[in-house]
Amino acid sequence: MSDASQEDAGRVPGVIGDRIAGALLLALAVGAWWLSHDLESGFMQPIGPGEYPRLISLPLAALSLLLILKPGFNQRWPGRAALLRQALTLLVLACYAGLVKPLGFLPASLAAVILLIRLFGAAWKSALISGAVLTLALYALFEFVLGMPLPNIPGLDW
Amino acid sequence: MDILAFLAQGFAVALEPQNLFLAVVGCVIGTLIGALPGLGPVNGVALMIPLSFNFSLPATGALILLVSVYYGCMYGGRISSIVLNIPGDEPAMMTTLDGYPMALQGRGGEALGVSAVASFVGAGVATVGLALFAPLLVQFAIRFGPAEYFALFVLAFATIGGVTGGSLIKSFLAAFLGLLLGSVGIDAVSGVPRYTFGLYELYDGIDFIVALVGLFAISECLIYLEDIRGTSRPTLTLGSAIPGVRSAGRCAPTIARGSLIGFVAGVLPGAGAALGSFLAYMLEKRWVGREGRFGLGDPRGVAAPEAGNNAAAGGALIPMLSLGIPGSGTTAILLALLLSMNITPGPLLFEQQPEMVWGLVAALVIGNFVLLVLNVPLVSLFAKVLQAPGWFLMPMVVMVAFVGVYSLNNSAFDLYMMLGFGVLGYALRKLEIPTVPVVLGLLLGGQMEFNLRRAMSISGGDWSILWSSGISLGIYLFAVTLIVAGLVYSWVVRGRLR
Repeated sequence: MSDASQEDAGRVPGVIGDRIAGALLLALAVGAWWLSHDLESGFMQPIGPGEYPRLISLPLAALSLLLILKPGFNQRWPGRAALLRQALTLLVLACYAGLVKPLGFLPASLAAVILLIRLFGAAWKSALISGAVLTLALYALFEFVLGMPLPNIPGLDW
Repeated sequence: MDILAFLAQGFAVALEPQNLFLAVVGCVIGTLIGALPGLGPVNGVALMIPLSFNFSLPATGALILLVSVYYGCMYGGRISSIVLNIPGDEPAMMTTLDGYPMALQGRGGEALGVSAVASFVGAGVATVGLALFAPLLVQFAIRFGPAEYFALFVLAFATIGGVTGGSLIKSFLAAFLGLLLGSVGIDAVSGVPRYTFGLYELYDGIDFIVALVGLFAISECLIYLEDIRGTSRPTLTLGSAIPGVRSAGRCAPTIARGSLIGFVAGVLPGAGAALGSFLAYMLEKRWVGREGRFGLGDPRGVAAPEAGNNAAAGGALIPMLSLGIPGSGTTAILLALLLSMNITPGPLLFEQQPEMVWGLVAALVIGNFVLLVLNVPLVSLFAKVLQAPGWFLMPMVVMVAFVGVYSLNNSAFDLYMMLGFGVLGYALRKLEIPTVPVVLGLLLGGQMEFNLRRAMSISGGDWSILWSSGISLGIYLFAVTLIVAGLVYSWVVRGRLR
């Protein structure tokens, strides 16, 4: 439905994108098929643990081949600036995921939120203020309202 | 009548202070989420799941909260359709056609009022339908064996592919990708770990809550990052929504037709609310004919799709609760919630935990009244939310997703997994591969395999058990019919909108 309404705006032929996706999915199907042979069937069951993944990887492979042969449409892919913003956002989030425990919730989140708000296009001043507000609000929500313990700053226990 | 006794019991459950509170909170949050452009019921409910786990709510309470959010989103979706000409979610798309022209003419308040009443009636019809038809379906489904359930899963996948409207190849590809992802983890029958690559975090399989939040919330933010400038929005004077109630009275026949059509569309597995609102609008346009001013700000053009999509949202709960087969993305997420609380919807749920099912029905009735109040006198408050800048809203969504997922297991692995699914969801959306079948596959894969293997061990390895009963043959036939209907439908849609 959304597909039909955006028939012209924002759609591009997916010759390259669909073929890459098809190739990746085909590789996935072949890999799943290959690995399923290591799964021994046991316990006198008519179907072992490897049967079902094999049953799925067959049509998956067939459909990926179809996609490679008959690519459809894609949404317009983002430009370089947008890609950079997305990559930076993912980087910030990945670092945040790794640092939230060692650094503690408050400092890690504060840094992450401020950088995120900047990446989403706000000025430094609004990023600092709303970042602090958002961090404290989240902390209050999870720590006090929901009663979920969040990682504390190391060495500080309260 | 049994139903009335059950319903009385349900109201006793729903009127417990905690459940009542959750219903009201869910309605408010849902309307807010639904009103935000881009965030619809799927993202909204996905985002709320980790939170409701953190509340350590009892299952009934959690279900009431999330279903209230679901209904609230369906109401809220129309607000940004009418005010900004941006559908808050896909089912609200048809509402832009007449809602925005009405807002441009200074009749935005009237449009909001009409659509609120239409939503109320649609959701009401669906709730009554749920109470009447779900028990009937349960009585039918109680005779189902593993082979019949396997057929039902096939039906669910067949139809979701047929009706999502895009390429059939891509829909089925998505479903099989989801099924394959769903086979990761320790095999429940033999205890053999599959595709875990030695990562003990994968032994329990891919946590679908983590996957859902990534696929929907994180990918939405990545889409938003493509163009952070946003579009300039003209400020419109809305006016009061109260006069809309009166014009809703004039649209009564429209609302009644829209509700019925939407309800039927919702019950069909795989169809969902978008089909409900589309059919309601198109049939109303044909019914009224030339005297209508559809597309130019006809109140009936707002009433029909809103009645249709809210009725469909309620109707979609029927197959989810009575068969355990979700018909739409959002009901799939609700099913995920239930499964992760060790509750398997289906005929047994109605027998063993009637207080939960009927408490939910009663909570929907109450929530519907709350939503009417929120959406007629208070709607201008919600319209204000739309002015909050995206640079604040989107990081907030990311942070709620992050902290919510983190607090499930306190594991950074879950967060990386969520980011991975966010990238996957983004790529799939760019490729126009629908994400809902992936979710369905991930979610239902385990059950589907379980039923297949049980059927096979009953028959001693004879595959013909899968199509040996009349019921399962009927289900396969129905699946084929729906695929054909889906093909015709997408052909008609393309013809109309071109």
